Amino acid sequence: MRFGSVIHILGFLMVFLSVAMVIPVPFSLYYGDQDYLALLSASGITLVCGILAFLFTRFDQELRPKEGFAIVTLGWLVFSFFGSLPFIISGYIPSFTDAFFETMSGFTTTGATILTDIEALPHGLLFWRSLTHWIGGMGIIVLSLAILPFLGVGGMQLFKAEVPGPVADKLTPRITETAKILWGVYLLLSAVETILLMLAGMNLFDALCHTFGTMATGGFSTRNASVGAYNSALIDFIIIFFMILAGTNFSLHFRFLRGDWRAYFRNVEFRFFMTIIGIALLLVGADTFRNHYSDPFEGLQKTLFQVVSILTTTGFGTADYEHWAFSSQFVLFTLMFIGGCAGSTGGGLKVVRIFILFKFVFSEIVRLLHPHAVVPVRIGRTVVPRDVMGNILGLFVLFMIIFVTGVFVMAALGLDIDSAFGAVAACLGNIGPGLGSVGPTDNYAHIPTAGKWVLAALMLMGRLEVFTVIILFSPTFWKK
Amino acid sequence: MNVLIIGAGDIGFQLAKRLLLEKHNIIIVEKNPHQVKRANEQLDAMVVEGHGASFRTLKKAQLESADIVAGMTDQDEVNLMACMMAKRVGVPTTIARVRNPQYTAPDFILKPEDLGVDLVIHPEKETADAIVRLIHQSSATDVLEFEGGRIQLLGIRLEQDAPILRVPLKELGQRFGNPPMRIVAINRKQRTVIPRGEDILVRGDQIFVISDPEYIPEFIELAGKSETRIDNVMILGGGLIGQFIARRLSREINVKIIESSAEKSQEIADILPDTLIIHGDGTDIDLLALEGITEMDAFIAVTGDDETNIIATLVARHLKVPRTIALVNKVEYLPITPTIGMDAVVSMQLITVNAVQRFIRHKQIASINTLPGVDAEIIEFIARPKSKITQKPLRKIHFPKQAIIGAVMHNGELIIPRGDTQIQPDDRVLVFMLPQARTEVEKFFK
Repeated sequence: MRFGSVIHILGFLMVFLSVAMVIPVPFSLYYGDQDYLALLSASGITLVCGILAFLFTRFDQELRPKEGFAIVTLGWLVFSFFGSLPFIISGYIPSFTDAFFETMSGFTTTGATILTDIEALPHGLLFWRSLTHWIGGMGIIVLSLAILPFLGVGGMQLFKAEVPGPVADKLTPRITETAKILWGVYLLLSAVETILLMLAGMNLFDALCHTFGTMATGGFSTRNASVGAYNSALIDFIIIFFMILAGTNFSLHFRFLRGDWRAYFRNVEFRFFMTIIGIALLLVGADTFRNHYSDPFEGLQKTLFQVVSILTTTGFGTADYEHWAFSSQFVLFTLMFIGGCAGSTGGGLKVVRIFILFKFVFSEIVRLLHPHAVVPVRIGRTVVPRDVMGNILGLFVLFMIIFVTGVFVMAALGLDIDSAFGAVAACLGNIGPGLGSVGPTDNYAHIPTAGKWVLAALMLMGRLEVFTVIILFSPTFWKK
Repeated sequence: MNVLIIGAGDIGFQLAKRLLLEKHNIIIVEKNPHQVKRANEQLDAMVVEGHGASFRTLKKAQLESADIVAGMTDQDEVNLMACMMAKRVGVPTTIARVRNPQYTAPDFILKPEDLGVDLVIHPEKETADAIVRLIHQSSATDVLEFEGGRIQLLGIRLEQDAPILRVPLKELGQRFGNPPMRIVAINRKQRTVIPRGEDILVRGDQIFVISDPEYIPEFIELAGKSETRIDNVMILGGGLIGQFIARRLSREINVKIIESSAEKSQEIADILPDTLIIHGDGTDIDLLALEGITEMDAFIAVTGDDETNIIATLVARHLKVPRTIALVNKVEYLPITPTIGMDAVVSMQLITVNAVQRFIRHKQIASINTLPGVDAEIIEFIARPKSKITQKPLRKIHFPKQAIIGAVMHNGELIIPRGDTQIQPDDRVLVFMLPQARTEVEKFFK
């Protein structure tokens, strides 16, 4: 392991972070809050630490996969650590555990909060909280790749370790160009959503914060009642539309914007994603349309919102699904594992992996009937390479092991079984609201300290798709 | 520039690696999934899996927006086909690697223009040429020619009793009567350094000299070597390279080829009437002894397998063959070859990559070369009227310390430059430099 190179790049990332911390300051000043002092001092601390780390180490040669994995995982930890400073310094979240949990939840775009009264936070901190979503959504490494030209080949390692999905899509010959395009598309969609939300009646501050939450599939709101507080069908549908866009592979947006009008519907994963939304809407709607909403338009608005919000792993709420039938709750719980498309900002296992797993099961059935058949697993026309197949199966198993272990630990810490299942699924899948005592109208404040750390670790594993994090704990990684 | 490379085999891969250093955008088309994987993992390039002669694949690889298409697979027809399609969609520059010499023979019915190829590279033929040069210049480790042979760059390893040992370089001129040559680099303990006036040469140094070819025999004596006459050559490997060498040498020299495949031995025996073909394993010492390896003046190992070439060459050196030349294609092996006592090494990949790179950059520079196992580049620049280099005498321009000007061609005349030399516009300037000095050197010629 070349620690010098790792720390050097982490130093660079910290300089980024310190710049990002200054962005909320104008809002703090505009609303006459005092929290800009906390933001500026946190930014200063981060900047000094970053510069020191940058100056006292050297970047030698290329990055090997080993350093790549270390940089990504440690990078996210460093971001969450320094990103929590504004909360601690300002005194609004005095406990380090809580502040770290909140920040990790922000960067991993989970959206689980320990705050009981969100509206009590000053505007600067609220903005910072939402901004962590936006930065983490497309990824801190992808951002730095767009700006750091010297990573070169090693950049591909980092890119693969951070971008969700079984195979990282390269849109252009150079990885830095691809990263720039992804951020460009992200920025563009965010700008459009902000404008639409303002036209629908939000002010700039709320529009930006909710855009960050939507485009990153995060879920932090500026209101205690989440998006439900606005009670506006227009806002709900704008956010539904952009949650779906955020849960879609960004390379499809790029192709679409370049004039390939059929890009979306030619893509097998996207079609499957739409099918899942349709089926879930039917299953949940069968209950909600009959038992909860007399007005079918309102039924559609509320049901679709919760389904899309959970599937894309955003976690905004406009209705308390805990009042819905258990069958509906179970459908939503299942959606938590599926998540968004590969190459999107969504969490979970990713639609394409679920699709491949299904196809794999079918191919096994064919193989049982025709023992000599050669049955490759295909997505559309392309064959899934065997090593990718193995990786997906491995990830699925690992994901389930971690899920089960997580539930056991949370139950052992005293949570009831509903809440344990809900909290672990919601954190590992980067959704936010779960079931039971961590449902859409509750928060994570009551979880014991140890539980918060476990959940924070699950969020990180969920965001980086388990392997990137787990690898750091394997003995092979540390062998010379 | 956008460069589309067809084939990510050894040559395509090295080419991509080199062009990436020059900030080109690289897209690669490769049909073998293993090579695709390797390229994806090790290169910052977009890799498209598919056949290089399929238009659909090329379209997927953004053929239309390519500035250069380089067909580098080992199948001539695929390379040529790709170039033809590229020309048809309007790609300005096409380069094809071609193995079969017939395709560029004067009597071939299709001219390169008909095939849509701007540059045809024969890696096998160029490698054979390089080996033949090393046979003619039998005490050198490397020989490069510039300006159509008017300037030579020679690599040579110094022996114990060389007269130029233990003399500071700046006194060499006085002592030996200002010879028309310049020592441009010393390779010592696997590190390449650009020498200064105070440096002293020691035994075992490999030095690189730029010189007038007429002076070279004299210089070889100064380096403690004597030219051996080469009458008998044994070539291991009857592939294309071996055949080319045999054809070039067999008029003046006795050539024996050892080839391990029975079928191929038959085949080359038919086409090379002046050469003796032996069917057998080249690393089998008994066979080599039987075929009189100890009487050979030179042993050339050019099979397609690097390991075989290396082992066979070491065996030949052990048996005291005065001159051994090995083809080593894996670039990773090149730095270790001097350590294990190999004499002269030729790399087909480097030769091809150099040729492509020279062609791509031919507007700014006259030539570019690299040497196997040496971390340096030799670039021949053309000085422009506005270039910084032409403004003042060399002493005053603060040329980078990691680079050295070896020779200047002024109106067709070779000048070995000194501090008071001033370079004129349109002079061709041969610069030997370590890679880190490259960007700075280029500034002087802008």
